[in-house]
Formats: sequence, C-alpha cells, structure tokens
Amino acid sequence: MSRRTIEYDVRTSGQMGADGRPVSVPPMPAGIEPEMHGEHMLINIGPQHPATHGVLRLVLELDGETVVRCIPHIGYLHSSFEKLGEYRGWNQIVPLTDRMDYLAPLIYNCAYAMAVEKLMGVEVTERCKVLRVLIMEMDRIFSHLLWLGTTAIDIGAFTVFLYTFQQREEIYNLHEGLTGARITTSSTRIGGMMADTPPGWLDAVQKWVDEFPRTLDEVDTLLTNNNLWIGRNRDVGAIGPEDAVDLGLTGANLRASGVPYDVRKDAPYYDYETYDFDVPIGEHGDCYDRYLVRMEEMRQSLRIMQQALDRMPGGPINVDDPRLILPPKTDAMNDMESMIHHFKLVQHGVRAPAGESWYSVESSKGELGMYVVSDGGTKPVRWRVRGPSFINLSALPKMVEGHLLSDVIAVNASLDIVLGEIDR
Amino acid sequence: MAENETGLPVHERGGRGNALPVLEAGGHDKDGSPGWVTTKLDYVVNWARRNSLWPMPFGTACCAIEMMASAATKNDLARFGMERMSFSPRQADLFICAGRVSYKMAPVLRKIWDQMPQPKWSISMGACASSGGVFDVYSMVQGIDTIMPVDVYVPGCPPRPEGLIYGILMLHEKIRGESLAYDSLRSEDDERVGRANLPAHAINELALPFGNSTQQNQVSGLVGTRAIARPNDRQP
Amino acid sequence: MPESYRDKLEFRDALDQLAEGVDRGPAQAPRSGREAQADEHPTVAALTDALGADVVLRHEVQSGDEHVVFLAADRLTEVMRWLRDSAGYDFLKDVTAVDYGGGRPIQVVYQLWSIRDARGLRAKVELPLDALEVASVVPIWSTANWLEREVYDLFGVHFDGHPDLRRIMMPENYAEGHPLRKDFPLRGRFSRAEQTRRALSMDVEDFYIPDEMAVYGSGEAGTSRPEQDPAAARARLMRSGGGPGAEAGAAVPPMRPEGAPGVPGSGEELQEDERA
Repeated sequence: MSRRTIEYDVRTSGQMGADGRPVSVPPMPAGIEPEMHGEHMLINIGPQHPATHGVLRLVLELDGETVVRCIPHIGYLHSSFEKLGEYRGWNQIVPLTDRMDYLAPLIYNCAYAMAVEKLMGVEVTERCKVLRVLIMEMDRIFSHLLWLGTTAIDIGAFTVFLYTFQQREEIYNLHEGLTGARITTSSTRIGGMMADTPPGWLDAVQKWVDEFPRTLDEVDTLLTNNNLWIGRNRDVGAIGPEDAVDLGLTGANLRASGVPYDVRKDAPYYDYETYDFDVPIGEHGDCYDRYLVRMEEMRQSLRIMQQALDRMPGGPINVDDPRLILPPKTDAMNDMESMIHHFKLVQHGVRAPAGESWYSVESSKGELGMYVVSDGGTKPVRWRVRGPSFINLSALPKMVEGHLLSDVIAVNASLDIVLGEIDR
Repeated sequence: MAENETGLPVHERGGRGNALPVLEAGGHDKDGSPGWVTTKLDYVVNWARRNSLWPMPFGTACCAIEMMASAATKNDLARFGMERMSFSPRQADLFICAGRVSYKMAPVLRKIWDQMPQPKWSISMGACASSGGVFDVYSMVQGIDTIMPVDVYVPGCPPRPEGLIYGILMLHEKIRGESLAYDSLRSEDDERVGRANLPAHAINELALPFGNSTQQNQVSGLVGTRAIARPNDRQP
Repeated sequence: MPESYRDKLEFRDALDQLAEGVDRGPAQAPRSGREAQADEHPTVAALTDALGADVVLRHEVQSGDEHVVFLAADRLTEVMRWLRDSAGYDFLKDVTAVDYGGGRPIQVVYQLWSIRDARGLRAKVELPLDALEVASVVPIWSTANWLEREVYDLFGVHFDGHPDLRRIMMPENYAEGHPLRKDFPLRGRFSRAEQTRRALSMDVEDFYIPDEMAVYGSGEAGTSRPEQDPAAARARLMRSGGGPGAEAGAAVPPMRPEGAPGVPGSGEELQEDERA
C-alpha cells in the first residue's frame, strides 16, 4: 500500500516578523460577509464556572458572539477579612493573610508584617530581610505557575497545567519544610519569622532553583511560538498605557501596556535596589504581552532568588526586642522575669503605637498595599488590604468590549486574578 | 427459601414459577433481611458507582487549589476514576465543596446541588465548608450542612490531598454500605428546593461560637464601639 | 555584644504595669505620627500656594515618611483634580475608609501616587456620621469606581456623582446595614437562621440589576421576564425576603447610625457591647 503525504501551509509558522513578533495570518478583509445584527442576548457566566478562576460572575451582553458590555459581579467569597482583623491581635492576623491570596501566601504574610513593623518602627534583622526576599520571589514564581497552568487549560492546552503543577508540588515541599504547611503558611511574625530555616532547606531551594528553568523552557517551547496560543492571545484584550494607569492596573497587566512601574524598582524595600534584576515591559498590552511579561518575570525572580541565596547572612532571624519576640523557652521555664514576659506577650499580644502605615509590595498579581491603623492597642482599628486583583478586575469590562465570547475567558485568565483577594 | 430450576432463590410471596426471582418493593425476604439477589445487585451497583464518581468541584477558595493538586500528577485522582471533573452538575455524582461559602454564594450552592441528579453524594472539604472555619463572621455560611446534606466531612485548612483522598475512600466505604432497597435514600426530593437543609433552631445552635471564638469578639478595647453584641456569643 | 533584653527599659516597664494592673489608655499610647509643616512635602506646599492654605485642614507625617493631608469635603473635587493634572498624581492606588468608633467621624482615605515623580501622598476627608456624603472622584480617576462602591457597601458613605453606586460585596438584598462600621457586630445583626433564609429566598431575577434586565426590556420580542419597575423590585428585595417560610413580622428596621436595637422577630435580646 502506498503512502500519501499531505503537506499544508499553516501560514503562522512561528516565523518571526520584522517587529520581533511572530507573524500571524492577516485578518479577513471586510465586506466578505454582510453585517448582521440582531437582538442582544444576556449571558451569565458563573459564579460556578471552571474558567472564572474562582467565584466570579460575569454578565455579558452579547450581539451574536461579540461582547457589547460586560458587568462583573463579585462578593461571592466575601469573608470579611478586614472586619475580622479588627478583632484579632497583630500576630493573630498573619494566618488570615494566607487565605486572601492563597496562591502566593508568603508574599501576603511578609507584606502584612512589613506594614506593622513600619508602624512600630521596627527594623528586622538582615537575615530576615534576605529570607523574606527569597520567599517572596519564590511565591511570585509559585503564583505565576498557577496562572500559567490555569490560563493554558482555559485556552485548551492541558499538558502545561500538569507540568506547572508538578513544579508547584516541589514548591509545596519547600513551603512545608519552612513553615509546616503547603498553602496556608502563616510564616511571618511581627519582628521576624515564625522560625528560622530548618537545616538543609536552603540547599533544597538551591537545588530547585537549578532545576526549575528546565520546566520553564519546556513550557516556553510548548506555548510561546505556538500558532494556536498566539492566535488566541495576540491582539486580544489590548489596553493602552493611559487607560491602564487611569483604571489602576498594576503588576504585569500595567507593565505589558508599556508603563514601567514596579514597586520593587520605584519604591524599593528590603534592599531591592541592591539586587540585580530586570523588569520586563511589554508594548501592546494584549494577552500575549502579558504572557510574555510574566514568563520573563519568572526568570528574573530566579535571578533574585539566586542572589538572595548567595548573600544569605547568618545571625538571628528575629529582632531582639522584648516587646515583640517571645523569650527562649528555656529562659521562660527557668526564670521568673522571662516567664512574666512570655505571659504578657501571649495574653495581651504585641502593642503598636497609635498611628497608621501604608506599605506597598510588588505581589505576583500587582501592587499589594497593606494599610494598618492603630489606636495604641493590641488589635488594629482598621486593616485594609489593597488587593491588586480587585482593581485589575475592574478593568475587565473595558478590555473585553468588542471581543468575542471566547476572548473574555482569555482576557480574564490573563489578568491573573484571585478571588480571595478581590472579595476579601 | 424456595429455589426454582435455575437454582436462584425466589420469594415465595411473589413467586413467578420459572421466571427469575422478583425483587419485592424493598427486596426483603419474608424475615426482613435483604434478599440474596438484592445484596448481589447492590454489590455490583455500588462497585460501579464508587469506582467512577465524577466530581463536581465546587471550588471557591484555598481548598480548591488543594483539590486541583489532588487531581494533578503527584496525587492522582484518576486512579479512583475521578479525573473527569464534571463542571456541569447534570453529569456529576460527587459534589465536593472546597472552600468557604458566603451567604451570597449559598443560593448558587443550593441550586447546583439540586441540579445534580441522583445518585449523588457530597463531600464538605475543609474547615470552612464543614463549620465556617476561621470565619465566624456576618457573611459566611457556618457549615454547608445548614444548606445541603453532607456525606463526608474532610477537616483541614486546607486538607492535604492525601486528606481529601482519605475522605473519598471513606465515601467509598459509605457507598459500599448502601442498598437499592432503601428507596428514600435516592429519591429526587423536590419539596426541599430553596429551603435550608436544617431547621432554624438547628442552624442557630450549630453556629454558636465555641472555644476561642467566644473570647475573640471584642475590638481593640481602647475604643468604645457601642456595637450590639449577642449574649449567646459569650457562651463557652 | 547585644545587651540582654532583660535590661531594656520596655521590659521593666511591662513588668511594672503587670504589677500595677494598669493598661495604658489611648491618650498615653505612643504615637507614630507627628504634625508636619506644609513645606516638608513639595506637593503640599504647591497645593497651598495654588489653592489657598485653607484647603489643607491638617498635615501630618505618619510612620516616619508617610505624608497625610486632611482636606475639606466641600472642595475635594477641585483639590483632587489639581493633584492629578498639575501635580502629576495620575495613579490612584486606593480609596478606603476608617471608622474609629464611638461616634467619631469616618475618614475617607485616598492613597495617591505619582508615577513620574515616584512620590506618594495620602489624602483624607473626615465625614461626620450624620452627613456621610462626599463627592466622587470617578470623573478624575476611573479606578475609583469599584473602590468607592466598596466604601459605600461597607461603610455607608455616599459618593455624589458616582455612575453606579450600589453594593459590591454584600448581596443585593442585604438588609443588616454596613458591615465594617464599628457599631456593626462581627457576626451580623440577624440570627444565622435568618441570614440563611434570606440568602436562599432570592428569585432568579433578583440576581440581575435593572441595568442588565433592560437588555431584554428594550427588545421588541418583549419577553416575560423584564422587571419594569426597579423601585418595586428593590422594595420587594429589601422586605422580609418573600421566600417560603418568611418569619411573620420580620420587617427590616431602618438603618440607624449607632446602637440599633434588636431586630423584631429574631427572638434575641441584644445589648450593648462592653469595653475590653
């Protein structure tokens, strides 16, 4: 039996064009099909839906398949973290922070502790600073991996989901080694960390940092020059820089539109100005650019992690401040004063001076702001979380106007939202 | 018990001569115990049901991520026949509520549960779905069993994938013990649509604060709030 | 060599207080903020020059380097527009509110950032509890849309000029008030059973706002669905829920700023909270 070979020309062969971007098929010229209009249709997506990344409800007004208007409804996960924070001591709020952005819990733990430490005027130790930088970058990658997996699965590429989740399992092991929990880490305290790194943990992180780029390269091969991926993401959900700033977008969404704003560079904290890393900036502000920016951000985070591992100093992890840190257990058991000290701290908790503080941190989703207001007591008067996803999502209606229904899913995925942070 | 030619037992009351034995409504023998055929049929049916439970992942928050991790490669739900996550309730067997549920989400949850056809089971995954968890606040449902029936509760915040799998295996055991003879187990009950699963007094009782919650309902103390407190909130 | 913590003054202090059994009150608590002069922050200086010194009611510095200006509510739009156009604060990071409790005014807090100058400023407006209204800044920064909706939902502050001021976090038929106020109890005003009943008693149409329902109302193939009278729909929603098993007499009391007595029909005696 003879074999027949079929060749066909796909036109988007992954060749790079003159502008450095893959060449795509030119759009169908106008006039081929008659314009058709009809009655608009109301479609409800969610709140229970696989592709809404949580309990998000989108009500779309459609003209055929084109979105005329999109109205997001949120609040289906409103757990009143902020109100609950008013009834908890300063250290008791740390476990609450994990559950807001459960995809990058260590970033939230650190941001909250940093805000309260600023309010109190406490400077953490060098080791604590470098360790916090290390874990924040690790969780940035952690969150981007989930974004990558779920975005790919929304667009239809299932394999990437499995690859990224396998790498996330490695990070889960690292989380567990440091804090005892996979997701809800609760690892920071006011004035330091819950505990120092266990022996061998930093070597495990180093090993993971060495091995992770292989997976990134694999995913890169699968997606970046893939015609289907480009076709679904390029020129979809584009937003310009002025609109992006006006709508309050932050993070990769803002940088993909060409605005070079990154809190680590513009308002650096924890010696970020001494680390050597780049911030990728996009051009067109579409889904494809957001994808490229986040992929590159993961590589840059690896750079920062390597530098943090190299410069990790020794020394204590917690500040030596009796107002904040419990005494060593042997002292507390043997010495009356230490026991009283322990008692005061455990019964009443730490106290903050009256006043307020705002702390901005570059989280994986965007700019995370923690605003704490204190009246001098052991609990905050107000704890406000400026969740980046809340504001990023408010830009969604503008980004999907005029696009197709399936593009709504792609744009929603590319915004990288987490509902725990939106609904708080 | 009499036997017909085929050697299978036949109920004397319903006797059909040479035909296959008839399962009584209830499938019980005269002495009340389930008949042999009933038990064999139950065994086969339960085996088929528990080994291909198609989950409806009602994932809301952090537990959903652990549920996704249990479906991923390291803890693989496919070995239980559960990799086909059915996002349409019409095609699902197992409702896994993974994550906290707010009162705004409660009608959606109830509707999804009602849309699932029998046989259906439910797993309440995590502390928030089982009891409200850390969130004893104005907007959170204090346990989804106030809204819908629950078969297995998996504690944890979030439960590890191994924990969820343990809960699923526990459900397998529960399914093993079911019988087609129990009509009321699998009836499609329309009357309860829109109502809570538990009566009002039970909901209030279940939602009373306990343990630490009774001490953690005061604000900074340096500020007088004149908030309205409920004296029942202070019970130990 | 670091000195032992036992030698530190704060520790001695803490022990003394424990012996005396006295906790410091807010008047004696250490403060992290201080009054500031206008010229310490270039924007504040320029603002007082451009629009007059009386737009800035107070200027303080919190936590070392955070400048906070208190603005008058009546000139808010003017000042905000000036800040965006002339001072380069193109980025509104956050709009939120703080309720200090005890009858004190609620502060609406605006966190501003200038991307080109890499400089931030916090602006506050104090609103008395009986006049919780302020101009909306949505015409100036579009990002304020959802942020102001959240402040309205959780605090009850009304923003004049907001295009779509309605609840965002709580369900549309939420009748217990504004949750983040200090006089709102943590577990809500209604009993759990009542909260559950209200949650489950919504019809399908209640999930859609009138704006969305208008999509079908305008079509010529007039469907059986549209809610022609949004006011009636809202009134129906806010009543006792209307679902099966509505408790008799469970009418919703009007929202009072503080100290609302118990809801009739909930069957519980409610009393004032005590200080810790």
